[in-house]
Amino acid sequence: MYNFEFVQPGSVADAASAMAGEDAQALGGGQTLLPTMKQRLASPATLVSLTGIADMKGVSAADGVLTIGGATTHATVASEAAGSFPGLAGLASHIGDPAVRNRGTIGGSLANNDPAACYPAAALGTGATIVTNTREIAADDYFQGMFSTALDEGEIITSVRLPIPQASNYQKFVQPASRFALVGVFVAKYADGVRVAVTGASEEGVHRWTAAEEALSANFSASAIEGLSVAADGMINDLHGTGAYRAHLVGVMTKRAVAAAS
Amino acid sequence: MSVAKPLPHDAARLHVTGQARYVDDIPTAAGALHLAFGCSKVAHGTLQSLDLAAVRAAPGVVDVLTAADLPFANDVSPSAHDEPLLATDSVHYVGQPLFCVIATSHLAARRAAGLGTAKIEPLPPIFDVETALAQNSRFEDGPRIYERGQANTALETAPIRLSGQMEIGGQEHFYLESQAALAVPGEDGDVLVHSSTQHPTEIQHKVAEALGVPMHAVRVETRRMGGGFGGKESQGNALAVACAIAAMRTGRPCKMRYDRDDDMVITGKRHDFRITYDVGFDATGVITALDVRHDTRCGWAQDLSLPVADRAMLHADNAYFIPNMRVESHRLKTNMQSATAFRGFGGPQGMLGMERIVDHVAGHLGLDPMAVRERNFYATGAAAPPQSTHYGQEVDDFILPGLIAQLKDSADYDARRAQVDAWNAEHDVLKKGIALTPVKFGISFTLTHLNQAGALVHVYQDGSIHLNHGGTEMGQGLFQKVAQVAADRFGVPMAAVKITATDTAKVPNTSATAASSGSDLNGMAVRIACDKIRNRMAAHLAELHQCNVAQIRFEDGYVITPAQSYTFAEAANLTYVGRVGLSATGFYKTPDIRWDRIKGEGRPFFYFAYGAAISEVVIDTLTGENRILRTDILHDAGASLNPALDKGQVEGGFVQGAGWLTMEELVWDDAGRLRTHAPSTYKIPAASDAPDIFNVALWDGENRADTIYKSKAVGEPPFMLGMSAFFALSHAVSACGPDYPDLQAPATPEEVLASIARAKGV
Repeated sequence: MYNFEFVQPGSVADAASAMAGEDAQALGGGQTLLPTMKQRLASPATLVSLTGIADMKGVSAADGVLTIGGATTHATVASEAAGSFPGLAGLASHIGDPAVRNRGTIGGSLANNDPAACYPAAALGTGATIVTNTREIAADDYFQGMFSTALDEGEIITSVRLPIPQASNYQKFVQPASRFALVGVFVAKYADGVRVAVTGASEEGVHRWTAAEEALSANFSASAIEGLSVAADGMINDLHGTGAYRAHLVGVMTKRAVAAAS
Repeated sequence: MSVAKPLPHDAARLHVTGQARYVDDIPTAAGALHLAFGCSKVAHGTLQSLDLAAVRAAPGVVDVLTAADLPFANDVSPSAHDEPLLATDSVHYVGQPLFCVIATSHLAARRAAGLGTAKIEPLPPIFDVETALAQNSRFEDGPRIYERGQANTALETAPIRLSGQMEIGGQEHFYLESQAALAVPGEDGDVLVHSSTQHPTEIQHKVAEALGVPMHAVRVETRRMGGGFGGKESQGNALAVACAIAAMRTGRPCKMRYDRDDDMVITGKRHDFRITYDVGFDATGVITALDVRHDTRCGWAQDLSLPVADRAMLHADNAYFIPNMRVESHRLKTNMQSATAFRGFGGPQGMLGMERIVDHVAGHLGLDPMAVRERNFYATGAAAPPQSTHYGQEVDDFILPGLIAQLKDSADYDARRAQVDAWNAEHDVLKKGIALTPVKFGISFTLTHLNQAGALVHVYQDGSIHLNHGGTEMGQGLFQKVAQVAADRFGVPMAAVKITATDTAKVPNTSATAASSGSDLNGMAVRIACDKIRNRMAAHLAELHQCNVAQIRFEDGYVITPAQSYTFAEAANLTYVGRVGLSATGFYKTPDIRWDRIKGEGRPFFYFAYGAAISEVVIDTLTGENRILRTDILHDAGASLNPALDKGQVEGGFVQGAGWLTMEELVWDDAGRLRTHAPSTYKIPAASDAPDIFNVALWDGENRADTIYKSKAVGEPPFMLGMSAFFALSHAVSACGPDYPDLQAPATPEEVLASIARAKGV
């Protein structure tokens, strides 16, 4: 490590003003940022920890919407959303390992938008609203390609509002060494239709599989997407798997998620 | 009797409490320095210049060495003098050390190493088999060819003929303790090197060459390694030599340990192989002719590649008599890490090739592969004279038919195979497979002169015993097995025997602890040393009591004469007072072996070790995911010196072998960079990957060869039991369609899925 300033504000307003400083960087659970700093791939002058802000923590359900504070850990979501939104709790309970789940936060995950992260699939798959200190952003507008989001410089995710579906499930095919998603699919069924979001697979990052959404909205069963296939073009082709394999897995994971959610 | 007891590992308590001392745990004197290599980022090129100004200026840096700073030999090769410690005018792989940083801490050295820049004029690299063959980039002048009979003529007349090809991936050793060395300068140019090595004598030899001193000026000590698997047979040379040179240059203790990423990028791995075959057989599956070709990528330096590739050829028959057999082996020089020794030393690749051929023949004929195996086994029993291997060694100890019959019975193989077929008929998404694969593995170094060992035993006047031998402890339990031999020879409890670190000043000119030979060679040397002392003690007591030497017994901590019993301590003291020496060396060499590796003829092995495994697996035909459900193993350790330790070797060997063939995948990119250089990208099997049902038993039988207490070597042979998981996967995939699955290794989920498509003919 190298020297940097560390501040831990107690309110969103204080955090926002701290973020206005030069080379300031918001710190959630640090599960990505700290290793990145150790590798010297990032060297912020000031770390603004968000974990001391009580308003940014906690899980609550009201009027069919689950609201999660931006600084809420995966472990908290896994336990507290289990009753209201089991599909999301299941996703949270399989992120990384216990150490990661007890440090990492939903805000950190969404702000980073790693192409193999789990939470972006849930946010996009539910049509969530990303609430920041300045505005509200619809998930469909928020994700802008791998490691890229609609967040402005210094903007802080204070909470995420996820419409609770009638049924949902997340299926993840893990890369066996790191246990990151080689392909992850979140399926959510609402009264007005089904949403399907895919993580891990595409060079564009998390994205919706609209053909499957249409088919599943008409008939919410695994057989509804039997004839559909995903093109290998644009899929990640790397040491862990070819684009063709990932494209194939998108179909399999979607069917598994539908079967598990039905 | 202390032999044959299932005693725990001698250091088990130290291992689990964290007290076991590895090289990096040895306390160093104040002022100790730490080393790190700066490595090439280019796979092949001409080294034009190094800019090390920023390295020298970095915090904590004491000195930086380049090839020009080395005092004498710049070579860490175990064979052909083709591995400079630091690159001179050319670089040959991504990861090749170019310079060495000496700094006040491990981290300071590593950080500074990252600041160096090298100007390298790139040359076209050679990575793949085709390019290497096209450019005749190889070790030795041409291929080695071993042949018996007339393979090509017999292929022409064979009733049925098949050909095929299999790619077999390499494997990272992934010892838990990465490579490490510590050099402590002594007086008058002497140096003491602590090295995590399977081969202390080689370290001593290379350090002496590098310092320009006789071997007597260099002492190497190795108490234990945190795993070796062959990866510390030659790969520790660079660290030990660098530390010794730095220690002599600075006058301070110097230590080096590779970070995991550095270790994976710099050091060699298991050789990958391409096996190409043309096989002739009849309708019952009897193989009459085989022409098999091995192409292996050896990396940039010769290292141990010739004997590794030789051993692959020597195991290309596995357990089968093939009257007309030809093996052609190409050892290709490529711009990658220098492939090196790894448990099995080429044997697994050669053997896997043969089992693949059997699997293919069976698939073609629609037979249970086990039936084809049994039809081609070497002859056994009183009625049949022994048959010879393709290199002319009689297989006169072939026990596989009996061993397999017992295993099939205990694991209920025939019924379970039928159950698997029935289950597959009813299930579309999941398919099961089951396979039994045998192992016949030759024991001895194929370089005949290495089959020797020495021991040094002292009995102190209080009856305690100091035991030393040339073998090294890497977690396998060698020290305990050899200590059991010593305790048995003197008839004393284990506590009387002190196990001590391997030390080139105590036992010289040792061979690597390799080729599974540790217990065979060192156990015998220790027995010989102990018996010398025991005979002297007996002779002295016989003289005191005017009795016959043969009447004196060493039992249960006592030395018993017809007239009187002494505790062992009393007997030792009496012998000491009687002015009789209580220290002895022992020396052993394996008898009855001879080998001409150019002709491919002789009797390279003292005996064969055998084993067999049955694995049952399940695959998901939608994703290729797979699991081992159950494995049953019956393995031949002869009359085991320690059944607990031997079973541990069998279990670990199987899991490591199955990992090699099902999940461990090395990936280099187009620039020759190893992309799988950390546990986040390279998956080794964990405890949860072992079969849920895992029945391991040792075959109840003595070694027919005259080995230590009639035991058999057990380090490498069980590794190849992992083949059963691979061929069970092949069986499961074959249930998906009419065609042969042509499964390649490693059978990752993506590969299994691809082979399902091949089986379906799509």
